[in-house]
This record gives sequence, structure tokens and C-alpha cells, in this order.
Amino acid sequence: MPQTPREIVTRCLSFKKPERVPRDLWVLPYAQTHFPEDVGNIERDFPNDIIKPDYEYPASPIVRGERYAVGYCTDAWGCEFKNIQAGIIGEVETPIIRDISDWKSVRPPYEQIPDNTAGPYENINRFCANTDKFVIANCCPRPWERYQFLRGSENALIDMMMPDYGARDLIKAIHDFYLKEFEFWVKTDVDAIWFMDDWGAQNQLLINPEIWRELFKPLYKDYCDLAAANDKFIMMHTDGHVTEIFADLIEVGLDAINSQLFCMDISELAKIGKGKITFWGEIDRQHILPSADVQKGRDAVQKVASHLYDPSGGVIAQFEFGLGMKPEMAVAVLEEWGRIK
Amino acid sequence: MDLIQRLALCVERGKVDRNFPYPPDMKDSDGASELTTLLLETGESANSILKRGLMVGMDTVGAKFANGQAFIPELLVAAKAMNAAMVHLKPYFESGEAKHRGSIVIGTIQGDLHDIGKNIVGMVLKGAGWNVIDLGSNVSADKFITALRDNNCKLAALSALLTTTMLNMESVVGEIKGAITGSMVFIGGAPLSNEFSDKIDADGYFPDPHTFSKYLSTLNT
Repeated sequence: MPQTPREIVTRCLSFKKPERVPRDLWVLPYAQTHFPEDVGNIERDFPNDIIKPDYEYPASPIVRGERYAVGYCTDAWGCEFKNIQAGIIGEVETPIIRDISDWKSVRPPYEQIPDNTAGPYENINRFCANTDKFVIANCCPRPWERYQFLRGSENALIDMMMPDYGARDLIKAIHDFYLKEFEFWVKTDVDAIWFMDDWGAQNQLLINPEIWRELFKPLYKDYCDLAAANDKFIMMHTDGHVTEIFADLIEVGLDAINSQLFCMDISELAKIGKGKITFWGEIDRQHILPSADVQKGRDAVQKVASHLYDPSGGVIAQFEFGLGMKPEMAVAVLEEWGRIK
Repeated sequence: MDLIQRLALCVERGKVDRNFPYPPDMKDSDGASELTTLLLETGESANSILKRGLMVGMDTVGAKFANGQAFIPELLVAAKAMNAAMVHLKPYFESGEAKHRGSIVIGTIQGDLHDIGKNIVGMVLKGAGWNVIDLGSNVSADKFITALRDNNCKLAALSALLTTTMLNMESVVGEIKGAITGSMVFIGGAPLSNEFSDKIDADGYFPDPHTFSKYLSTLNT
């Protein structure tokens, strides 16, 4: 009897021999806008094994504008983003906490997390029961990125050098909210929760790894412990060159990491993590995926597979269909992953 | 350690002024701002302070960054210290008593709002003695050309983070070079490479600000 998508992903994450490499194509709004018909065909021919429930938090009264549209938008924390390119997320122009001593002014959107969970849980659990796919929570804590949205990137980075002047407090305020958000989700029937923070520049970590270990590793351990205590898988997305903290991310208890493999030495990552954690993609979206030469995409899949694939599991065929990419490349990459056995 | 060496150390370590809490081991000691004032009071020239103090400090932290021994926050606090010192030197540059190494126009390419990489490059170049004209983000070819003309400048540096906006670089490089005879246009940013630089006829790609600064110092401006 063939394995269901849920079983395939679960076996992959648990190293229990999935019958094929699980698929997880992230279609960005750019692709949906530019190639709606192709996206439909791809989703039909190569259906994702991982999906999110359709549950959305109650609308926040302070949210304004469209997140992926040109113009300004304000999120539930009050951070205002400016965007000049449709299909992507904009940049914070004016941070709302200009002086770190004002950290107490942060207002995490606790009102979005339902007090009465019966209705939401019924909806989410019905969704999970009615699908044979692997369901990942429709929330994504991002403590470091949230910190940057609140303070602005430069201020945030400088704050990391002197965390005793309010940065620790602000991090804790953000973390407390995200723990509460995760506490809501781990009580549902989803298979996994996930979070994200981009920690890498192109060639190195954004901040000193020792500072990262002191300020952020404990937060991620809290998330992983919460997931483990509730029998959920936990996965993380992090962009950039993160080799220096890869072993730490395994140590805290993550089941899967989505990272920019091609920023790093994949053979080194294999030494650190193969057999210990699942590599949740990706294929290089800076150079290879935007290329017109689909053979480059196929070669990239073979490169990832040669270093990281094992029939027992540990690799998910994840990549982005995003900026500057043609549908033919997405098809080629998915076809190539289908050949990996 | 004499005063100017102390100034270089303050820039390298990011000690902005006496009240600045970082680094903890330099707590309650004078920072770049106080030391610059002291040096000027003792008759040290602005040029000497720039070259023997600020440039030495920024060069040291920039080299550490290029070697993976320092990270972006260390560069940012160093630049903050340097800027605190430059406030005191500004009148000397305005009067012509002190001179910059040359001028360079920088900006993030049209369509792209990401500016932290460009800002760091600007800070390091200022620390290396350059007059940096920062046009901000989402900068068109026309704005680059106008700024180059207005400042009688031949050097431009373009930054891009997105794979889509990097494609705008080819036309901007071409337009600048077509409009400003003898101009040199450099590029930097996460998705870029030497191959891309060659392809769009730019004058070089630099993976980090220190390497770029070192290269610029070899130019006869």
C-alpha cells in the first residue's frame, strides 16, 4: 500500500525510509501573479506533500494595506513596511522603537491569539483530519526578524553588542508572545510547527556566534522543547551562511532546517548534519533558479542529493518559485527530484 | 599608547564617547569623540587624525571582518565611533584644511530598497578617507549621473540584494559610463559575482567593504 504524503514526510523526518523524496514547492506571490496557469499545472503534476491549514487569526484593527503590494502596509505589531516591488515583502522605513530604552512600548498582538480555542481548534483539526498531507502550522515566529522590524536593521545589529540596555528585555517580550502563539498551535492536530530567522550574510553569520548562542539559541530550544513535549515536529527556515550555528540548531532539537545550502559548503553541512536532521531544501535561488538553463537546476538537484540524500530520509525537495524564475525551471527541478532514489 | 593610537583603538573597538556603554572593558574612558577633540586641542592636524587615527582603526576592523574575525555589528559600532570623531573634523574638511582621498557616489540600484550593505560600504569608505555621496536606495541611472556631475566625481558603487534588481545594473552601468567619460562603476551585493560584473561591463565586484576600500586606495584619483 502506497504511503500517504503525511507518512512520506513523517518517515523522512524520522529517518524511516519514505517511499520517495517529499516535495515542498514554495510558490511566492510573484510566481502566482506572473504565471498563474503554470503554477496550477505544476501544483497538479507535482502536488506538495506539506500544506498549511486555512485557519487565519482574527483581523487586527491596526493592520493596513497589502503585504505583497506596492505601497505601504502596517502589520499587527504596528511595524510599517514600504514596498516598491509587487510580490515581495517591503522594508521597514521608520522603526517604531527608535531608542532601545523605549522597549516597553512594544505591543505584541496578543489579541490575535484566541482565548476561546474551541472554534479555531475545531476548524484546524477538521482540516487536518480531512487531508492525507503533512500539515504544518499556519504561524511563523521570527524573534530576530521581529526585533529588526521593531528597531530597524542597523539599530538591531548594534543592540546585539550591548544587550543589557534593553535588548534582552525586548527579545524576551517578543519571545513570550511567540511562545504563546506556539502554545496555541501545539494543542491542535497539526503535524509540525515552524519558525524562521535569517541569520546569515552571504559569507558568514550576521552576528558573532557566541552572542547568538547567548541570546537566541535558548529561545529556539524553548520552541523545540515545547514541540517535543506535544509530539510535534519542529522545523526552521534561516537564510544566508549559517554553517557556524548548524550544529547548535541540531542540538536544540530541530527536526528540519530550510537553509540556503548553496551559500555554504554542502559537503561540510553533510558532515555536520546528515543523518541527524532533515535538510528541508533548498536549491540556489540567487543564481541557479533564475537561470534560463534548466540543466543547471537538474545539476543542482543531483549535487544536493549526492551529498545529503539517503534512502532512510533526511531530505525534502523544497525550493522557491519566486523572483525572476521561469516555470520550466520549477518543472525541471521537480522532475529531477523525482528521479532520486 | 599615545593619543592617536588610543583614537585608532576606540574606532576599532567601537568606543564612541565616554558615555557609550560599549565595549564593557573601556567603560568610563574617553571615546573617539573626546580623543579627537583632545588631539585637535594639542595641535594635531585634521589630516593626521584622519590618516593615523580613524583610517587605522577602520582598516583594522575592516580586515577582521574580511577575514571572518569580526561581524557586521562590530563594523557598525566602529563606524559609529568614526562618525563621532568626524563631527569634529568636518569644519576642517569644509575649509579645505583637510582633504579627502577622493569622492565616490554610492547607492542601491533602482527597484531595491535594501540598504544595509550599501550603508556599511559607505561607512568603511568614509573611514578610509573618502568623501562618500550616498544617494540612498532605489536610485536611478539619472540620479547617479547627476550626482557624479555635481560632485565632479568619476567613481560610483552600486548595490543590489535581489536577483531581479541586480538585472537593472547592466543598464545603469551602461548609462553612467555613456554619460560620464572615464567613470568607473563598481558593484556589490549578495547575489553578485565577478562573472556578473564582467557580463555587465562593470569595473569590478567586491565581496566585502574592506576589499573594495583596499582596491580604491590603489586608484590614482
